[in-house]
Amino acid sequence: MGSFIKKDILLFLRDRKEVVIALLLPLVLIFIFNFAFAGLIDDDEIELDLQLGLVNKDQSVAVKDELTEKLIEDGDFQPEEATVIAEQALDFEPAEIIKNSLENEGMDQWMTVHPLNEEQAKEQVTSEEIDAMLVIPEQFTVESLYAGITGKSPDVSLEYRLTEETMSNGAIYTIITGIIDHLNYQFVIGQVADDNAVELIEPKGGVERLGAGEDFTIAQYYTIAMGILFALFLSMTVASKTSEEIRLHAFDRILITNSHPILFLMGKMVSTFLLAWLQMMLVFALANVLLDVFPDRSWAFWLGMMLVTAFFALAVAGIAAFFTSISLRITNLEAAHGVLNLVIMVFALLGGNFVPRFVFPGFLQKMSDWTPNGRTLSILTDWLQYQQWSSLIIPSIILTSFGIIMTLIGLVIYPKRGRES
Amino acid sequence: MLETVNVSKSFKGTKAVQNVNLYLDKGESVGLLGPNGAGKSTTISMIATLLKPTSGEIKWNGVNIVHKPGEIRKELGIVPQELALYEQLSAYENLKFFGSIYKLKGKELENRIQHALEIVGLRDRQKGLVKTFSGGMKRRVNIAAALLHKPQILILDEPTVGIDPQSRNHILEMVRTLNETEDTTILYTSHYMEEVEQLCDRVYIMDHGEVIAAGDQSDLLSILSSEDTINVELSMVSEPFVEQVNMLEGVRKVEVANTGLKLIAKKGSNLISELVHLADEHQIQLVHYQTESPSLEDVFLHLTGRTLRD
Repeated sequence: MGSFIKKDILLFLRDRKEVVIALLLPLVLIFIFNFAFAGLIDDDEIELDLQLGLVNKDQSVAVKDELTEKLIEDGDFQPEEATVIAEQALDFEPAEIIKNSLENEGMDQWMTVHPLNEEQAKEQVTSEEIDAMLVIPEQFTVESLYAGITGKSPDVSLEYRLTEETMSNGAIYTIITGIIDHLNYQFVIGQVADDNAVELIEPKGGVERLGAGEDFTIAQYYTIAMGILFALFLSMTVASKTSEEIRLHAFDRILITNSHPILFLMGKMVSTFLLAWLQMMLVFALANVLLDVFPDRSWAFWLGMMLVTAFFALAVAGIAAFFTSISLRITNLEAAHGVLNLVIMVFALLGGNFVPRFVFPGFLQKMSDWTPNGRTLSILTDWLQYQQWSSLIIPSIILTSFGIIMTLIGLVIYPKRGRES
Repeated sequence: MLETVNVSKSFKGTKAVQNVNLYLDKGESVGLLGPNGAGKSTTISMIATLLKPTSGEIKWNGVNIVHKPGEIRKELGIVPQELALYEQLSAYENLKFFGSIYKLKGKELENRIQHALEIVGLRDRQKGLVKTFSGGMKRRVNIAAALLHKPQILILDEPTVGIDPQSRNHILEMVRTLNETEDTTILYTSHYMEEVEQLCDRVYIMDHGEVIAAGDQSDLLSILSSEDTINVELSMVSEPFVEQVNMLEGVRKVEVANTGLKLIAKKGSNLISELVHLADEHQIQLVHYQTESPSLEDVFLHLTGRTLRD
């Protein structure tokens, strides 16, 4: 199979036009799109009108007694000592501090807090009447005060729910983490773990803990989008060489060597995987060097980029297998090219490679997640913000599964003799 | 060694090849003659296992390769009419790729590549990209790619089309050497009758998908043993004149040539006085008159009513 891989890589690299398209065109487009869509993210003049549903389930009335009891039972405090500490701690009311911070005068100019019960809030989040909801759980005051006094992690945490990650609910999340930091500071409990405060729960029930998120720029978005788009095109380029090989009868010569026809397909897949991965990493690296797109990023960040890119390259390799089989099935080479181009353009449009995903309506964002490029864009923009390894696991499995499914379809429709006769 | 038995091939109901029977013995050099669309390439593609016959059998050493294509593939070298090469790769890279998928590797692969390049006379140009080569050089690389695995049988489908006389002579000499010194069995198709006459022991003539004649050159020429070929050079040719020549006693076929007429006539026909008389009537001057022995081209004309390059 090595010979097939080497042949396909050489054929691609010897085609200067293709190399220029794969490496330079993405950079030019990154520059153009960055300029054209800059206002979507970077415009400081954007007016925010954030809508937050606040559900306060903390209705404790005997805070002092409950806290004293918890300090004695769980914290091994002496009863007298516990009573004094609980008395002093009553000066702090965490739930009230959060509520007041969200509703204070400066904040109310760009965020409206709607006190709701939990059911109402869930409904409104789902129907996108509000951007997100924050739930202050039962016993939050007692648990937070206990955590603040003992330095232990609290048994309850705030719940933050949203339907889709958007600029708006991302901003709310940042505000809430700011308030929690402020709260912790007031307790002077620097030793409290970072994950003690905010939990993000998606409506489907999945729970994701967020670290300190960073914003991403439109240049970063389009660097990733263009890298992905041209990797998709690359799957078509490699597969469409099949048409060329048929036209030149080199494919016939391969067939009569008695080598297994599947090796031809596997060669296309592996070479596409290698070329797509290399192409994307080169685009990311060149964009960083020339346009300073990912400034001050750690090695861990780049490692994550390489990993996600590898999983996407697997999906692209699967697409190349499918496209190769299509090329062998369709005798009209022009028609074959047309079909492949159409598939790529639909993927690109749905996946957010031309227009940013976050400006799509909800249903389109959901469809976008079903495309390998849309899913990869989503993973990498998350990675840009939160850099959490655990968040890569499920999407990577999805991308790999997509690659496997496309490969299987490619194998099923691959002509038995390598070519129809 | 190789035998086709009543092989036919249809494409969407159109018969491209019908009941073709041919055989090749080991070490033979056999020609397959026919005009465009005669079914030569389809027949070759079926022998090379690239196309499956609609009916009939193709046997390689007694084994039906329609069901067991692997039996012939490892022993077969094919030089298609088109350049089955990667033009963006060098001659060496092409041969290395095709050699490696024949499962040749290491020193053996290198030796075979150099040997094949030696045969086609391109050792000193092996690093050049194929796309930079002349038509003749490309065809030589095309042949080298078919020789890497030392095939027992080499099928060449019009290997000299569109190339300069020097490359053409080189290729013909190369094929002859392979046949005579390396005992490679040759199946050679061509538009050029003189190539087949020069290279082949036996000839099959195909037309409209069928084999219409077969045998060695003397067998085929004997078809015309009762006829003479007469070349008549004239100052000009007119349609009424040709019509009247066609009606002369003994004349069986008239073909308009560049400077006159080519006649196939009953052996011993003495047409000169009648032709002079007829030419005079049409105010045409008879410049030259020559009776010659028939060639395979004449046989082809006799059998099909047209020339090979029609």
